[in-house]
Amino acid sequence: MRASSRWLRILGGTLWPSFLAATAACVVFFVNIDPETLRMQTLPAWEIGRGTGYAIGFFMFWAVALLSSMLTLVLIDGGPRSQS
Amino acid sequence: MKDPKSDANDVGMYISREKIHPREVDGPFQRLRYLAVFVLLGIYYGIPWLQWDGRQAVLFDLPSRQFHIFALTFWPQDFVYLALLLIVAALSLFFFTALAGRLWCGYACPQTVWTEAFIWMERITEGNRQKRLKLDKSPWTREKLLRRGSKHLLWIVFALFTGFTFVGYFTPILELGQGLMQLSLGFWEWFWLLFYSLATWGNAGFLREQVCIYMCPYARFQSAMFDRNTLIISYDEERGEPRGGRARRVDPKAQGLGDCIDCNLCVQACPTGIDIREGLQYECIACAACIDACNGVMDKMEYPRGLIRYSTENAMAGKPARILRPRVLAYGVLLLAVLSGITYSLTQRIPLSVEVLADRNVVYREVDWETIENVYTVRILNKDREAHTYEISVDGLPGIEALVSDEPVRVSAASTDSVVVRVRVPRSALDGPGNPFQLTLQSTADPAVKTVNTARFNGPRE
Repeated sequence: MRASSRWLRILGGTLWPSFLAATAACVVFFVNIDPETLRMQTLPAWEIGRGTGYAIGFFMFWAVALLSSMLTLVLIDGGPRSQS
Repeated sequence: MKDPKSDANDVGMYISREKIHPREVDGPFQRLRYLAVFVLLGIYYGIPWLQWDGRQAVLFDLPSRQFHIFALTFWPQDFVYLALLLIVAALSLFFFTALAGRLWCGYACPQTVWTEAFIWMERITEGNRQKRLKLDKSPWTREKLLRRGSKHLLWIVFALFTGFTFVGYFTPILELGQGLMQLSLGFWEWFWLLFYSLATWGNAGFLREQVCIYMCPYARFQSAMFDRNTLIISYDEERGEPRGGRARRVDPKAQGLGDCIDCNLCVQACPTGIDIREGLQYECIACAACIDACNGVMDKMEYPRGLIRYSTENAMAGKPARILRPRVLAYGVLLLAVLSGITYSLTQRIPLSVEVLADRNVVYREVDWETIENVYTVRILNKDREAHTYEISVDGLPGIEALVSDEPVRVSAASTDSVVVRVRVPRSALDGPGNPFQLTLQSTADPAVKTVNTARFNGPRE
């Protein structure tokens, strides 16, 4: 039970906040930038639909935010504790 | 002696968790919550099926970058409305939190609403709290298998329908339904449908109150919006203590007891498993289930209701309590201001947006000695739901005239088009580069559909 609670805490503390941050970032980014324009300017030879473009963007943001959340967790959990 | 601190470090960080089976209660707050569940889930599941003018009434059409909400269509250029909407959401949260604590958590949060629906299905299949507790401990008999199995079947069907509805906000739901029947959905439709179903199933079926305790940011910062006049769910310690069991007809005062009979129903009813008698805790989602439970007991004991009730810290301390106070008024006024601003700007919205881009390669051209020409690309976005023919005119410099490449300029409904406009100005009217002039676009059918853009005209340096 304890191990599963710990896992829950780790996943809840990383996956979830990074999901929220990725959602916000994704909205702001794609409101201003059309994935279609992005494709034309970078990989015009590839067939990437807008839907796929949004999904790629979302998962990229999620991955980056997840990395940051996991680092935060490591830094908070693993650092030297203050003696009181 | 054991050091309590190391103990706290060991266990306190990750409390082992027994599954909480909240006891079913009845009372005005529980009925209010049922009502909220019905209304909110009704809205969520119902809205994608509504039609408006031959298309889905609410459709977030990401592939064509348009959001349809009944009569309105929003474009990426209308991002400001989304930002304003988020401000309204934040202000409402501040307002209601300052007024009456975590109303959002207890009645309107999707986590609460779906958990309530999932617990209802659990109750149908596995029985009431006692039966569920017993079932948890019992070995895997045929009956347990059947009850558990049917619960999960209900949960999964409901979760899948939730995921389907979610995708139905982004893909026309009728097409989506057909695609699902023929198993011919696209990859991402399958993916998001299953992703959202899985999230619903996990959050409402298993995680439940742990989402509120471990994952919810609002639970952590809501205390900043509280003050001593915020309505919170509180246990009247003065009246209740000392608690203890007693026979029904006995006068508690004679036995030196308070009104709390220590029946523990408030703890059993709590969906986050806390004891409200220990005071306000951040786990409390203000669902008021304990109020309903306690009032039922008080009625049976023939004591006055309200041993646990909505109250404020000030009222509990016997100080004057004020509901309307500067903080609440300020939030309320701000909220009203932003809301009326949005409404006003929506009614004044012109379904036309224009960008004027100067030709970057040629700064200016001499048509003849007397006349200078600049070339502009005018990008027209017709946000209306019907085609428009536009008239382009220029103004602001003496003798200015515009030559439009393909007249008339007609842009079909909800689409963009570009036209090249050559603007000519007499040399005598110019003063070097960057002379401002106005380019006006006006619909021939509806003169109210009109925008004026300011652009710059470049002439030779003298």
